Amino acid sequence: MPSFPEARWFQTLGQLMQTEGELFRRLGYAETRFAVRIIPDNNSNGGDRIVGLTIDGYQLSEVKPIADLNEFDPDFVICGKREIWDRMLQEIAEHGRPELRHTLSSLALVGEELWLESTDQLREDKFYRFNQTLQELLNLASKVPE
Amino acid sequence: MSQVHIKDEERIGCDAKIRLEPSVYLKKLYDSGTPDLEWMNQMGEWGVRAKPGNLGLRLKDIEIGSYGVVPEHGGAHRSMAPRGATIVEELPSLGFTINEKAECWAENAAELYEEAVARQWSSARDIPWAELKPLPDDLERAMCQLCTFLTEVEFIAADAPTRWMSKMNQDFFEVKMFLATQAMDEARHMDVFRKRALANGGGLGKASALSELSLKKIFDAPSFSAQTGRLHLLGEGFVLTLFRQGEFIAPSRVDQEIFRRCMQDESRHVGYGTMHLRAQLKANPAVAEEIHDQLDDAERILLETFSVPEAVEPMAILMGGGIKNFDKGMEMQSQLWRRIVHEYLQRCDSAGLDRRPRCILPTDFNKLVEAA
Repeated sequence: MPSFPEARWFQTLGQLMQTEGELFRRLGYAETRFAVRIIPDNNSNGGDRIVGLTIDGYQLSEVKPIADLNEFDPDFVICGKREIWDRMLQEIAEHGRPELRHTLSSLALVGEELWLESTDQLREDKFYRFNQTLQELLNLASKVPE
Repeated sequence: MSQVHIKDEERIGCDAKIRLEPSVYLKKLYDSGTPDLEWMNQMGEWGVRAKPGNLGLRLKDIEIGSYGVVPEHGGAHRSMAPRGATIVEELPSLGFTINEKAECWAENAAELYEEAVARQWSSARDIPWAELKPLPDDLERAMCQLCTFLTEVEFIAADAPTRWMSKMNQDFFEVKMFLATQAMDEARHMDVFRKRALANGGGLGKASALSELSLKKIFDAPSFSAQTGRLHLLGEGFVLTLFRQGEFIAPSRVDQEIFRRCMQDESRHVGYGTMHLRAQLKANPAVAEEIHDQLDDAERILLETFSVPEAVEPMAILMGGGIKNFDKGMEMQSQLWRRIVHEYLQRCDSAGLDRRPRCILPTDFNKLVEAA
């Protein structure tokens, strides 16, 4: 089975998003193109990877590894060390969601363990506009078959 | 079809003070039996067939042909006749005073309206109130004071812009529709924070004269754009960061859910304000000075607001996890202050307003002691 942070792992999230359609319809549609950047931690568990994702309504319509961020032109990039992503996914696997202070929004607020990069605050604000959709998408990691 | 029974039908109109003359048209219709049908030749653009996209038929899908053209100057008739309809003579004016597109327009207004409609939520249904657990007294008091502040300030973003909404030319209906969703959002925010204050053994705390002064200044802004600078760019931008902090400091999943949902709503409001000012400043660069003046005053009041215990201490207590960790909470608040200032200035940049040289908000929280 694909594992984080392979693009195919995110595609599995996309398939689960379709299965869990009602949850996302309840939240309302989202329209954003963004990227997830996974930076190797001190233990070098994996390389620096960027995955581009597009949410079009209630579906993850595009997932692909990104070599050139400028070309992909995301609204925002969520950046974090591998160990932080791993911790979040571990908590999601155990409880279905991250701990209160380890959500995407909370971590990005502090900006140390996870941070946002964007060329325009207006586009970065889509991270907040669609935040619950983004978090629920990641929370589906608890349902990815191992 | 069975005839509907109307109570006391014989009494209807027996004391009426106005007598209706019979309609000439209806008399002719009944006499001849031939419909007029002239209205069929008085259509706007005909043959239009809007196609729904993957998310249904949205406003952007009906922006086609002449119907998609938003005029630079709103209709001179100043009525609510729909944009694109055939305009007849003798339409009574509703006296709209915001008749230039640049005075209220934002390119994302229709998009944000549809998004708002799609992402509405209910404080009664979508917040897991049953999971609310008793909190230590200091945390509950801090949360209740924060909720009091938010209950007090949130509805200004409905009351203030809707004063101008009724003055906007109907040709800019997308903006009016967006502002209507903003008013609905703010109603929900006022509702959810009031409910939260009353739901866990606490209650409402202390109202704030400084907050009220801030609201009054927003209410009294001399133009819609000036108000947008004050309300959307600084006020709502500040509250947006506060909501993000709220999600971070939430002592329970109930509180986290409340703040996260409000954060999503608030970021739409900030998005509209930023884009409106971008359009306005591009069309009328001289407006920048008016907005700067508003922000000079609004920043000063914000600093003063952050100089009273009921504004500073609840956040520090919540961030630190209790009074015992007050210093730690203040340190975290200091770090987050930089983010508030950073994002505010970034939004000013995005709007095309070079605010940095004039901004009086210190980037270092500790300087608030001097600035206040």
